[in-house]
Amino acid sequence: MWKTILRRFLIMIPEVIILSILVFLLAKAMPGDPFTGSINPKADPAQIKHLMRINGLYDPWYQQYWNWVVHLFHGNLGNSYQYQEPVTRLIAGRAGNTLWLALFTMILTYAFALPMGVYAGRHEGKLPDTIIRVYTYVTYCIPFFVILVLGIWIFGYVFGWFPTTGSISSDASSWLSTIGSRFYHILLPGLLGALFGTVNIVQYLRSEVIDAKHSDYVRTARSKGVPNKDIYRHHIFRNSLLPIAAFAGYSITGLLNGSIFTETVFSYPGMGLLFVNSISYRDYTVITALVLIYGILNLIGTLLSDIILSIVDPRIRIQ
Amino acid sequence: MDKKKLALSAMAVLATVSLAACSSKNSSSSENGTTASLKLSPTFNNKKATNASATKNSTLKLAEPNDSPFQGISDQVLSTNQEDADVFAPGGGGSLFNVDKNYKIIDGGLANQRINRKAKTVTITLQKDAKWSNGSKVTAKDIEYPYEVIANKNTTSQQYSADFNTIKGMAAYHTGKAKTISGITFPDGEKGRTAVIHLTKVTPAMKYSGNSFIWGTVEPYEYIKNVPIAKLASSKQVRKNPIFTGAYKLDKVVEGESTTWSPNKYYYGKTPQIKHISINVVSSNNIDKAIQSGKYDFTVPGSVLHGTDYKELKNVKNYKITGQPALAYDYFGFNVGHYDTKTQKNVMDKNSKMANKNLRQAMMYALNLDAVNKKFGNGITWRANTLIPPIFSKYYDSSSKGYPLNIKKADKLLTDAGYKKRNGSKWRSDPSGKKLTIYFGAMTGTSAQAAEYQDYLQQWHKVGLNVQFTGGKTMEMNSFYSTLQKPKQSSIDVYAAAWGVSSEPTPTQLYGEDATYNMGHFVSKKNTQLMNEMNSDKAWNDTYRTKAFKQWQKYMNEQAAVAPGSFSYNWVPVNTRVKGFDMGPANNSFWSNLSLTSSSLK
Repeated sequence: MWKTILRRFLIMIPEVIILSILVFLLAKAMPGDPFTGSINPKADPAQIKHLMRINGLYDPWYQQYWNWVVHLFHGNLGNSYQYQEPVTRLIAGRAGNTLWLALFTMILTYAFALPMGVYAGRHEGKLPDTIIRVYTYVTYCIPFFVILVLGIWIFGYVFGWFPTTGSISSDASSWLSTIGSRFYHILLPGLLGALFGTVNIVQYLRSEVIDAKHSDYVRTARSKGVPNKDIYRHHIFRNSLLPIAAFAGYSITGLLNGSIFTETVFSYPGMGLLFVNSISYRDYTVITALVLIYGILNLIGTLLSDIILSIVDPRIRIQ
Repeated sequence: MDKKKLALSAMAVLATVSLAACSSKNSSSSENGTTASLKLSPTFNNKKATNASATKNSTLKLAEPNDSPFQGISDQVLSTNQEDADVFAPGGGGSLFNVDKNYKIIDGGLANQRINRKAKTVTITLQKDAKWSNGSKVTAKDIEYPYEVIANKNTTSQQYSADFNTIKGMAAYHTGKAKTISGITFPDGEKGRTAVIHLTKVTPAMKYSGNSFIWGTVEPYEYIKNVPIAKLASSKQVRKNPIFTGAYKLDKVVEGESTTWSPNKYYYGKTPQIKHISINVVSSNNIDKAIQSGKYDFTVPGSVLHGTDYKELKNVKNYKITGQPALAYDYFGFNVGHYDTKTQKNVMDKNSKMANKNLRQAMMYALNLDAVNKKFGNGITWRANTLIPPIFSKYYDSSSKGYPLNIKKADKLLTDAGYKKRNGSKWRSDPSGKKLTIYFGAMTGTSAQAAEYQDYLQQWHKVGLNVQFTGGKTMEMNSFYSTLQKPKQSSIDVYAAAWGVSSEPTPTQLYGEDATYNMGHFVSKKNTQLMNEMNSDKAWNDTYRTKAFKQWQKYMNEQAAVAPGSFSYNWVPVNTRVKGFDMGPANNSFWSNLSLTSSSLK
């Protein structure tokens, strides 16, 4: 298995190179440049041209690409044109926020969805099952940004229970109050994200549980006299987790993607917004860095999923 | 308070005027439409008395409506956007001069300015007690250092313009030939209070704040001298712990999210009164809810609120709407030529599709801008009648009619010029009988903007002109401007766009013969002459200068190569606990004048 993992890693190298070239070419193919957005009566076009030149934006793409690679190996992803600071620092500042929010949301989602899925599968066709199914579909049907706007309005503005902007309150200074304030700020978006993002896990788990309930090994266990509780805990639950485990690798990569909706509505500085802004501002350095990071994360995520699967399910072994 | 260079990006301005679809309940009838039907005052005259203890112990909470985190560059020289200027506004932005209501520089600010026409110098003298918020003195070197940052070879600043070459030695420094700017001298030393700027010419524009010759802010040289200029924008002196000369000093900045302030005890001017000021970025999706639930005292003047917000907020209890015309306008541009890259000049093409003045005028008369603004503007936008926004009360030509709807006149103009329907076609062909298709370039925006664009097309179709979107649909902002900025292009014949203007409105950089931003390439001897008049020797006389501006407006209106679209209000909802609010340009002590009448928001 270690050999397989190593091989997968080696294959990732040309994949990443191809990805970076593609991203580089596509970014440059977009109309406009990092300075198009800043045309105004007082920005002299000559100075803009000068800035374009010193930033090497008039060089042929392969030269720009080469410069970028050389810098990359020096740990330098360049400067953001829009934010005028090193890309690494910019991304690091945002990645923390996104990571916390996503991790919190993910934990909550699993905490809500796993019991619901098992419970619904166990009581298939009965009232609790119907309630859970209706709940998941209703939450699935409502567009997420509507939930966010409603949520912030009701709980943030009307009741005033939660903060409504940013990732931290401006008067948090001590170590403890910083952590507390950060947590307080991700509570509402995290809860909303979890409560309204359960549908996939619940439905998968529910159908797996129902399948497992009727399988031979469960019937055998039952006839042996294994208590119902243990059957669910040891036999059914573990087997039903397979598809969920397969997802887990991918959802780890999702941790850094960030949600544009959540970030916009809660004015929460994260990666999703950064990515969208960098595209509309033609902030090439940020675009390429982000796509590259996402690409690498995706490759790792796929690998992780495979590894998790092989751990959870002894029948699957990577050859 | 808009003393500093107000350089809104084209995008930000577009956002100001973007409006969402909704029906207007505007009851007032503004049939002539050349003025705003809605009257907003820049001042909130709170009759209640200041509550001293509330003022001393409370936090004034401000919102900055914006959909993305602010960039965090506190330095006016390096910053390129309005959000940064807004969230760092209580620090004063290093503003040098006080201004009157016409943005004319007056005495009493951080420094005073004297122009010597004979010697061609501008002398800037600092207040005796001018200090930075860390207690160190503001020096003559601090006046000069912005020029170094702007013109440095490795700078990230976008502010350098050809106008700075009128400062002696500036060009040499910019190209790296000289180590210092020889044209800026310090009669009583770098640590003194006076800097003298030696120029090759002085112009009347220099009397006004926001002109492109004399930079209007200071840089804390001692504080930042060890940071290489190329790295200044990312340094912690500029982002994390910047120092200021204004009424308030920065306590803390949370990157992209918020800033907090407390009174600057070294401030030279009127003592600030409120204990703390906090400014938070609030998503424009829920700024209305935030105001309705009384979370903020006001939005930072200068920030963007839309027409739809106005509809939501105009009747909110405990808030008063204040506003003044924005330093911006929407316009229609016609492509009548090209930019000659060899001579670096715009050239009119007599044979271009839009070269006929009658055609351009007819297209403007065909539009129903009054109705469009009434429907989508909710009172905060109105049809523009000229290319100088009404905030410049002295220069603005209120008598100008602009282009109100007049289909009959449009038809007549077209027919007279030979644009006739031939061979039973439903479309007019050009005077030589050739098929005429006009391409309209417009930027993708809100659904309301899309509706407005459709209305423009329909109106043009009404007078028999076959006008189509360039490429069949609206254009993304970047492709729109890349197309227009090509030296020669024929895919856009007429376009809708917006300009944010500086507080010194000389339009040469937009419509001059060698202006790259003259994207329609309209050039005429008369136009050049009229624009030169604005800053000629005679224009030192204010009355003459005003006349020159008005003449130019008349001429541009008549030529219709760049035609006015709409004006808008820059407006702010203010909580009734706030006293002393006045966003007008002449209120130079905006932040010190604020006080509170209650310790909690109403």
